[in-house]
Amino acid sequence: MSAPAVRFAGITRRFPGVAALTDVGFDVAAGSCHAICGENGAGKSTLGRILAGIDRPDAGTITLFGEAVRFRQPRDAMAAGVAIVHQELALWPELSVAENLGMGRMPRRGPLVDRRALRAHAEALLARVGAAIDPDRRMGALSIAEQQLVQIAMAVGADARIIIFDEPTSSLGERETERLYAVMAALRAQGTTTLYVSHRMPEIFRLCDTVTVLRDGHHVATTPTAALDEAAIVEQMIGRRLEQFYPSHAAGTAGAPVLEVEGLSAAGGRVRDISFTLRAGEVLGLAGLVGAGRSEVARALFGLDPTARGRVRVRGLEATIRSPREAMALGLGLVPEDRKGQGLVLGMANRENGSLPSLPRFASRGVVDRARESAATGAAFAAMTMAADAEAATVTLSGGNQQKVVMAKWLTAESDLLILDEPTRGVDVGAKAELHAWIDRHAAAGGAVLLITSDMPELLNLATRILVLREGRPAGELARADATQASLLRLMSGLGAA
Amino acid sequence: MPSPSFVRTLVRSPQAGLTGVLLVLWGLLALAAGSHQDPLGGGTVNNFLNAHTLIQMATDASGFAIMGVGATIVIISGGIDLSVGAIYALAGVAMAMVLRAAGPLPPVAAFGLGLAVCLGVAVTCGLLNGLMVVGLRVHPFIITLGTMWILRGIAFVMSRAESILVPTSLTAVAKASLGLGRSLSPVPLLAMCAVTAIGAVFLTRTVAGRYVFAIGGNVEASRFSGLPVARSTIGVYVISGLCAGIAAFLGAAFYGSATSSDANGYELYVIASAVVGGASLVGGKGSALSAMIGALLIVTIRQAIRTLHFDQNYEWIIIGGALIAAVVIDQGGTRLLTRLREAR
Ligand SMILES: Nc1ncnc2c1ncn2[C@@H]1O[C@H](COP(=O)(O)OP(=O)(O)OP(=O)(O)O)[C@@H](O)[C@H]1O
Ligand SMILES: [Mg+2]
Repeated sequence: MSAPAVRFAGITRRFPGVAALTDVGFDVAAGSCHAICGENGAGKSTLGRILAGIDRPDAGTITLFGEAVRFRQPRDAMAAGVAIVHQELALWPELSVAENLGMGRMPRRGPLVDRRALRAHAEALLARVGAAIDPDRRMGALSIAEQQLVQIAMAVGADARIIIFDEPTSSLGERETERLYAVMAALRAQGTTTLYVSHRMPEIFRLCDTVTVLRDGHHVATTPTAALDEAAIVEQMIGRRLEQFYPSHAAGTAGAPVLEVEGLSAAGGRVRDISFTLRAGEVLGLAGLVGAGRSEVARALFGLDPTARGRVRVRGLEATIRSPREAMALGLGLVPEDRKGQGLVLGMANRENGSLPSLPRFASRGVVDRARESAATGAAFAAMTMAADAEAATVTLSGGNQQKVVMAKWLTAESDLLILDEPTRGVDVGAKAELHAWIDRHAAAGGAVLLITSDMPELLNLATRILVLREGRPAGELARADATQASLLRLMSGLGAA
Repeated sequence: MPSPSFVRTLVRSPQAGLTGVLLVLWGLLALAAGSHQDPLGGGTVNNFLNAHTLIQMATDASGFAIMGVGATIVIISGGIDLSVGAIYALAGVAMAMVLRAAGPLPPVAAFGLGLAVCLGVAVTCGLLNGLMVVGLRVHPFIITLGTMWILRGIAFVMSRAESILVPTSLTAVAKASLGLGRSLSPVPLLAMCAVTAIGAVFLTRTVAGRYVFAIGGNVEASRFSGLPVARSTIGVYVISGLCAGIAAFLGAAFYGSATSSDANGYELYVIASAVVGGASLVGGKGSALSAMIGALLIVTIRQAIRTLHFDQNYEWIIIGGALIAAVVIDQGGTRLLTRLREAR
């Protein structure tokens, strides 16, 4: 047996108030794809960051291919052949895609950057992950999924021996996800070792040989995938059996129309002719490939798109929504797709983020009543199974817990017409089930939900009807009974429809 | 004897490091300053630690601190206001000219009219800054750099660079001893404490204050949460202007006159007070109390030069060096405290 690619021994990392990792030790076999599973906040990302030299353990050692290493900074890890795809986007939004990809090893001609070589390098990397992105575009102008692809290209292009993927698919659509799987296969053929963090069970079974489960920062087990099933992994994660992943629905009866949209166009006309009716008690799914215009519809409805045109009626009354304030006054709430950029003020406490849209409700004469604020946000955090301290700064939370804080904002605001754009991005299985149950209850109580999600099972399970978009146009509508993964994909891609 | 929990709160507060630096500095100054015989009552008086010097220092600090509270609020929102010194000058000059034109008035009327003109002009200037920052979408650094020159220019032209006296009834109020004994005037000190307290309540307790933090922390997320971003942004410049107006009123009343060159270069002291107090220039972080402590620190450094009879020619060098040292010590201390707390 050759030496393991990575040997963690006794890794411990404490933050003020939490032990993120306690005495974690296990081996990652060379050339394998090794899954790391665990609930939100279990310590997966922290372990990845330590291996990539971004964070340093308080105790413990790392051995790479039999050689003890001690990384003081990311550069050291890169030099040792370790690359990471971060859970959160870590890029330069004001620079071009090519510059982002060339960062740290700019090709030069004399003292100047060789722009042509830089562009060629970027094109080659993007081709490797099968991404059709113009290298000259500004990073910040790309969609979240496209940014994620660039980030993957960056790590793959580093020609590392070991690559950590921290929830790479959480913001990718079907098509991009398939491409990533192909990339993973190519890496495996090359003998690259990969650590793969994900909350999506099917892909773990598809990609990984071995599964390590962490719980509350402790190592629970490292087991060959062949010896496990989904229920067994979840049991290791939460310490008990989870009976139902998707709760059964209270058969909602659709009530009066809450939101009627007619001939909506958005994003400067890139999205056009969108019409639909959302009734009380309904969960309307909005499906489409990445770039189909789903988020653009959400932004237009929430008053965030000055180019939006078309007729919108809310509860039967004609409405022109020009700002989120006006949208909120009509009872709308939006969970945006980019939690870090649009959903959260990371430096604020969880309580403060949770109450941000509804703060005046907890104030009299402009002075905030802390007790009422804490009670309301605390209830919303509990409903989302967000276990972190309400007074901790949101920036210190794990990705999944941050997502729960974004959801909690709109729970606290008691919006009855919710637009959810990828609401379970990076949320663990248990919490996802809670969230689904909450959406069901919300609908049953007469609320309405417009659901955008790239997670097929989630869409098929929750939506009462599904509207499919393709390249900014409506491509069809399916009732829950007629919707299957295959029929949806056909409509989304337009293949086999003609 | 303060209870242990009170001490713990104090040590844990974000102001602990800076307050510590300030107290140590005062202690050292008291030790190094020596003492003299009181010519009237007899007995020895410390050259630094005496009521007169301390109140004089508080008076010097009050202008910086009051404007520093405004600057802190602007900086928390992610902006910057370079025009406070110019607003100070214009508001003071405008008040003095109106009072001169109005002729002799009963004390209460003079006081009321002066205050109204001074604050009115200052708030209008702040409102203009805010409207331009929001409406023209130009970085506040540029807008307020522009208004800094424009407003001082207006004050200069208006007053023809004259020094204009203000009625003695105003001076009587600003220099009132409030029963503390002669030649002691605690009014600026009290005004400084009042403005700081109001600023602290605004920032930590009100909806509008919370919005300032949110907008400075992440404008995009604030917009997505339906916050009144434009109104809040205009508001912080109005507050900054108002603070400059309060400082101008106190200053003109205290010293008995106003000129267009008043508060020249104050904007940097004011911003320094806020930033030394821990306000982050990228926004989202800061406190009113810290701004006041920051102002006191800067004034203490200046006072030290006088008390210790350093060569005045080295004033700038000493102020610059001490400023950097104070912040480094504060940050080092904060880091140490965090480490101790984590170790528990
Ligand atoms: N900089 C930090 N300061 C304080 N606490 C932190 C910090 N970074 C992480 N933590 C805490 O460490 C714990 C582990 O976080 P980590 O991000 O590793 O979780 P995770 O397993 O990746 O979760 P998720 O599935 O939500 O991404 C959490 O409790 C988190 O709040
Ligand atoms: Mg994570």
